[in-house]
Amino acid sequence: MRASRPGMSRALVRRETIAGYLFLLPSLFFFLVFVIYPMFMCIYTSFFDSNMGKDAVDMFIGLGNYKELFQDKIFLGALKNTAIIVLVSVPTVCAFSLWVSSAIYNMKPVFTSAFRCIFYLPVVTGSVAVTVVWKWMYNNYYGIFNYLGKSVGLIDSNINWLGDPKYALWCIILILFTTSVGQPIVLYVSALGNVDQTLVEAAEVDGATKTQVFWKIKWAQIMPTTLYILIITTINSFQCFALIQLLTSGGPSHSTDTVMYYIYYTAFKLYRYGYGNAMGVVLMVIIAILSAIQYKLGQTDS
Amino acid sequence: MKKLIALLLAALMVLSLAACGGSSAPAAEAPAAEAPAADAPAADAPAEEAPAAAATELTLWTYPIGNWGNSDTVDALMADFEAATGIKVTVEYLDYTSGDDQVNSALEGDAAPDLIMEGPERLVANWGAKGYMVDIADLWDDTDKAEVNAACVSACFTEDGACYEYPVVMTAHCMAINYDAFVEAGADQYVDLESHTWTTEQFIQAVKALYDHYGDTVAAVFCGGQGGDQGTRALVNNLYGGTFTNAEHTAYTADSEENIKALELLQGMDGISFDASIVGGDEIALFYQEVLKMAFCWNIAQQLNPNSAGTGEELTLNGQKIEFMSFPSETGESKLQGGIWGFGIFDKGDAAKIEAAKTFIKYFCDGEGTEAAVKAANYFAVRDTAEGIDLSGIWADNAIMNEYNKLMPYLGDYYQVTTNWAVARTEWWNMLQRIGTGGDVATEVATFVANANAAA
Repeated sequence: MRASRPGMSRALVRRETIAGYLFLLPSLFFFLVFVIYPMFMCIYTSFFDSNMGKDAVDMFIGLGNYKELFQDKIFLGALKNTAIIVLVSVPTVCAFSLWVSSAIYNMKPVFTSAFRCIFYLPVVTGSVAVTVVWKWMYNNYYGIFNYLGKSVGLIDSNINWLGDPKYALWCIILILFTTSVGQPIVLYVSALGNVDQTLVEAAEVDGATKTQVFWKIKWAQIMPTTLYILIITTINSFQCFALIQLLTSGGPSHSTDTVMYYIYYTAFKLYRYGYGNAMGVVLMVIIAILSAIQYKLGQTDS
Repeated sequence: MKKLIALLLAALMVLSLAACGGSSAPAAEAPAAEAPAADAPAADAPAEEAPAAAATELTLWTYPIGNWGNSDTVDALMADFEAATGIKVTVEYLDYTSGDDQVNSALEGDAAPDLIMEGPERLVANWGAKGYMVDIADLWDDTDKAEVNAACVSACFTEDGACYEYPVVMTAHCMAINYDAFVEAGADQYVDLESHTWTTEQFIQAVKALYDHYGDTVAAVFCGGQGGDQGTRALVNNLYGGTFTNAEHTAYTADSEENIKALELLQGMDGISFDASIVGGDEIALFYQEVLKMAFCWNIAQQLNPNSAGTGEELTLNGQKIEFMSFPSETGESKLQGGIWGFGIFDKGDAAKIEAAKTFIKYFCDGEGTEAAVKAANYFAVRDTAEGIDLSGIWADNAIMNEYNKLMPYLGDYYQVTTNWAVARTEWWNMLQRIGTGGDVATEVATFVANANAAA
């Protein structure tokens, strides 16, 4: 702050610095209390055998929870399911939103806005309401998917979409997809609209095809947006919880368990807080590493 | 201007910090204020604390037990209580999906209510066993113990004599059939509507007749979660006379030969599906919509108001007749799962509040408010008289309640107070899911028992 104001008097710099920190203080307070402190407590508790109980005493067990984690078949299954969700969801969400945005960003403003609203609607609709509607559609007995499937001869008998381990996870991924594309589309439409048109026109004058213009000019300029979308979608996919809790409770036979849901299950159903926190720490480390890699790759590409 | 805003923000920060600091100040002072009470003899403490200036307000959290989940009904009850005692009660309504999480979070955050209304499986076996509840054994005298249904007394007391719940209502959980559908399929010959009982063989024949007629799932062993799981446990246990726990409530016994036989029967039956996409509430809705022809999650509250839809007693959505039935067993005489509900007090270390909460319990469980409390719950009173008030005729004018009374003698062991019940309950529906997806019954039941008993 001081270095950027070479002509200012010392007293003025000090006053501005204090003012700056005072502006930061409220946010910093909430960040410390609601993010940093719980994060510290999560890491700290993960080294204890911590259970629910008024007189329960937390016992220090070092890395015991972490050792148990990697022998816990349900946790490993949840980790695998989470990985599938991330690997399927992140590329498809990014590719689909880029495709839709490319198609709508240079339409008449009224149509662009209409499409943005349509795709953004599932984002602003409450997750419970969205889940209830999807639950109806997937219903084993009267759901629309079974009705249509049988009507057009795709299936012979009803499929228990959410009750069959073969389909349940994919059903969750489909819902996650529909609720995840809204924000990337809005961001991409905005980013594409901000692409420097002089560069586009220059490339066209030089005889570049539309594909070349997109990948050589536009793609490079929307890379920061892509990086942001990748990181946000990855984190959201890792933290998939509400859909699981409301639709399948991790079942059938743990086929839709995700790490986030298993943390909840361990802490609130089995009352093993220390063990649940150890999972939280592992999830945090994985997300941090992946975000750092994405950020690094994004920087290199740009 | 900037200076002014900075100053305002700084002031805001100071206030925030002061507010945070302020919350801990009373807590720091509290032990000192309570110290004399701690020194005084335990029996005298409440009386000395009683100048109830600090105990004229209570908080109650209630699960949706009949109309105890309906704010209009409960507000009227609380208004009567306030008029009689001067104690104002603020009520918060929980549901069975997220209620436990809310209570657990509140307990961990020192924000629990003063009173809670639910059953012994939560109040005694879970929160009581974990040390969060006040022992209210002093509310019972010999007359109370004689008046209250013995199974209810037993469920509310621990082995060492502590009591964490005072019961007010009870019922027997049962199952239901769509009688019109049974008639249409020719399955009505297998049910006895006089006694509302049937044998395992009759149940098998009825399912066969229904499946032959409708060609689809007629009943679902729902296992999407724990909601309504008393129904699936009772079904499995009764078919061949198995039990869920031992008589001492120290171990889970669902791996018995009888239970394995029952689960294998259900796994292989056409017309019965293990459905991991629904829980008890969903099953009731499907039954009400006439998709399923039987419901395993049923009791008198459903019989009076199927699916809580308000479309007529004992009727499905389109007006077909619903008959409640006991679970099938080899002899026809089954052991039904009991439902017991009452009040417990969370131990927040405030003697005056505890005393006021005891006044509340006395009023609604053994006093002038008992009749209204029972009627609000839409279940049966756990006692015939409360402080001289006759409760035996509460439902005298209700033919359905009277008919349902035929099932009450079949009330079985209240095993939901077995140690670590919450864990066993979760293991149960997970086990049903594995069986439903083709798991070997003997193996899966053994896994269930191993996990549940490890927790116990």
